[in-house]
Amino acid sequence: MIREIIKRDGRRTAFELDKIANAIFKAAQANGGSDYEMATALARQVAANLEAGSDEVVPTVEQIQDMVEKVLVKSGHARTAKKFILYRDERTRVREMNTRLMKVYEDLTFKSSLENNIKRENANIDGDTAMGTMLKYGSEGAKQFYDMFILDPEHARAHREGDIHIHDLDFLTLTTTCCQIDLLRLFQGGFSTGHGFLREPNDIRSYSALACIALQSNQNDQHGGQSVPNFDYSMAPGVAKTFRRAFTNNLTKAVEIYLEQEDGELMSKSIIAQAEKETGRTAAFAGGNGFDEAVLAHLEEHMDEATAQKALRFTRKYAVKETRRATYQAMEALVHNLNTMHSRAGAQVPFTSLNYGTDVSPEGRLVMECLMLATEAGLGNGETSIFPIHIFKVKEGVNYNPGDPNYDLFKLAMRVSAKRMFPNFSFLDAPFNAQYYKPGHPETEATYMGCRTRVIGNAYDPTREIVNGRGNLSFTSINLPRIAIRSHGDIDFFFEDLDRKIDLVIDQLLARFKIQSQKKVRNYPFLMGEGVWLDSEKLDPDDTVGEVLKHGTLTCGFIGLAETLKALIGVHHGESDEAQNLGLEIVKHMRDRMDEATAKYHLNFSLIATPAEGLSGRFVRIDREKYGVIEGVTDRDYYTNSFHVPVYYPISAFEKIRREAPYHALTNGGHISYIELDGDPTQNLEAFETVVRAMKEAGMGYGAINHPIDRDPICGYTGIIGETCPRCGRREGEGVPIEKLQKLGLYRHLNSTTLGYHGDPNEEADRQVNPL
Amino acid sequence: MTKEFKVTEVDGVQVVGEGVGFERIRRITGYLVGTLDRFNNGKRAEEHDRVKHNVSCCSLTDSRSA
Repeated sequence: MIREIIKRDGRRTAFELDKIANAIFKAAQANGGSDYEMATALARQVAANLEAGSDEVVPTVEQIQDMVEKVLVKSGHARTAKKFILYRDERTRVREMNTRLMKVYEDLTFKSSLENNIKRENANIDGDTAMGTMLKYGSEGAKQFYDMFILDPEHARAHREGDIHIHDLDFLTLTTTCCQIDLLRLFQGGFSTGHGFLREPNDIRSYSALACIALQSNQNDQHGGQSVPNFDYSMAPGVAKTFRRAFTNNLTKAVEIYLEQEDGELMSKSIIAQAEKETGRTAAFAGGNGFDEAVLAHLEEHMDEATAQKALRFTRKYAVKETRRATYQAMEALVHNLNTMHSRAGAQVPFTSLNYGTDVSPEGRLVMECLMLATEAGLGNGETSIFPIHIFKVKEGVNYNPGDPNYDLFKLAMRVSAKRMFPNFSFLDAPFNAQYYKPGHPETEATYMGCRTRVIGNAYDPTREIVNGRGNLSFTSINLPRIAIRSHGDIDFFFEDLDRKIDLVIDQLLARFKIQSQKKVRNYPFLMGEGVWLDSEKLDPDDTVGEVLKHGTLTCGFIGLAETLKALIGVHHGESDEAQNLGLEIVKHMRDRMDEATAKYHLNFSLIATPAEGLSGRFVRIDREKYGVIEGVTDRDYYTNSFHVPVYYPISAFEKIRREAPYHALTNGGHISYIELDGDPTQNLEAFETVVRAMKEAGMGYGAINHPIDRDPICGYTGIIGETCPRCGRREGEGVPIEKLQKLGLYRHLNSTTLGYHGDPNEEADRQVNPL
Repeated sequence: MTKEFKVTEVDGVQVVGEGVGFERIRRITGYLVGTLDRFNNGKRAEEHDRVKHNVSCCSLTDSRSA
């Protein structure tokens, strides 16, 4: 007789025969059965077998299920038995997942990010804060939910087992990756953040403040980073407006001074209005448009010629000075804001990229100069700012060679990058970028977002091959080394298996796109509601976004080309021409498959050189468990970034550039190459420039130069610090005598705010001036 | 509020900075990170392995004296 059973958690509960009958009936139903009577009879048989003559048995759930399987098989219900076993396995998996999720939550709650790798998955999220942890709860819970209920089981398994990696899986059902925001357009007539309306800005300070707000607002509508493709062009009108206002204000002062008037405003405004009417121009920052002469003529109606000239000189001098100052302050504020303003419930600062370099207007040039100088100066205590990512667009005839109008800014970009690691450099003359370039149309200048994403070609709408208002929808990476390991040197098998994985990724990207397409404008109050995304201004709040999303890209990525080649032929592309040829063949094949998918689905499929932050360790961890330690393949804790020559391999800068450049042409969804420089590049800008030029001449699309930036928070020294700080002589973790700091002018008295670097006269005296 | 560093005494000399490390800013995948503490395990290993690329035409160290 069974009265009670023991549940999985050890508690006892009343025995119900119906529950067994139901389970059997469901398994039978899955095979088309409909005989509940039979199910009840079988359940009785199960109970009888369990009792097996004893008076009082208390079976466990597992024992009952084992018996159900036995009875089903014995009584000839093999197919039902199979279904029952499957159902049981599935339930077990779900149960284990729930347990695992709770374990993840436990670790998130009670372990610091130092002990918990999940909290450090993305270095720009502070996993130790309340909001950072909350974000992680959501993220980990969402991933398990999708795994169990949303994803195609085949995609889920491939992701789980590390064949592919679905990036930003936690946002699978929610939003898209990133966007290139056209601030110029956004600012026209003002905009709403969803929490309040902002007027069209009238001053460079408001332009920069609103730029930050736009980046922040859009960041909250998407899971990736935000980019401004035309920062110079976008801010230039702000400078022009600031100058006009400053010109009028200073003309008023001039009139008051030179005519000894109490209030010169009426006169100055009338002069400005007349001059504007006569010339059809306004006061311009660089002058030279005939406006000043018209103002002079009107001034001469009120004063003698010499005084009028003095008044005009005064007006221009201070208007220019105030405009420069306002622009510098605006750019300084922007850098500070982008490093401190919160996004995503305070867990992050917005992930921002600013592209600039090609606006040759005096206003645009001033914006770039000030932005770079503010970046060079650093944050409050001279720290290197982490955001925004600066991308300087290099273009022949615009800024690349001496004599080009923005050559001085290119030089400044290199000087700042040698100190602060930003700007990075993008190359508009690379053939695959140049094909879109139309002079006078900044929206056709290829730009890069965040780590490397590139969106410009548009198969969906070939008349809109532009960067503005577009971005990536989602991307998924293939574990290339895994395929190579499984190929055992058989190249044909490698390509066959690669094709299967590419098919899977295309399928998965399309499935995700289908979910994204069903979202409505109101789900993205800023991105779609404010018309930031291309063509979204034509939609109503309840319209679905599927059609306009087609301007975005669906992207396949890859990781570990170097390890792949090692596994296939024993050498990587940094050390062998044969490997380089095979590497190019592999990546070209992937690109061809993306182009085919583009043609087939009429959507923008592209190939990206995956940045792989969280992924760099994940794939290799799984592969080492599966295949053991393989030299040059799984023997490190990371797979090499995309097509990069391994970071550990000694190679000259120019050889590395030569080897990696051809992959830039193939990876139309984005790419970047890094060169690691030794020593302090600010001491050798010539070498720095040689490297940048080599990247450009090799046909790269996007490159950056890494060098160590260390800082001693005690004395404020920024540069390279080995064992001891070159400024104060302190060793890591040790103290430095106060007397020594006082001698260096770095310390005045106990707990004084002057502690830390506030200007070292000796160092400043040594600085070289690089005039613009 | 500015950060205050503790003043301690070592062998009768007043010092500041005990227990304070250096900040080391590195590029992670595309963006910079203010300290290596935030890197995940895989990226830490990768950063550790990075070697410098020689600019043979104009070595950085040579020209410093120039």
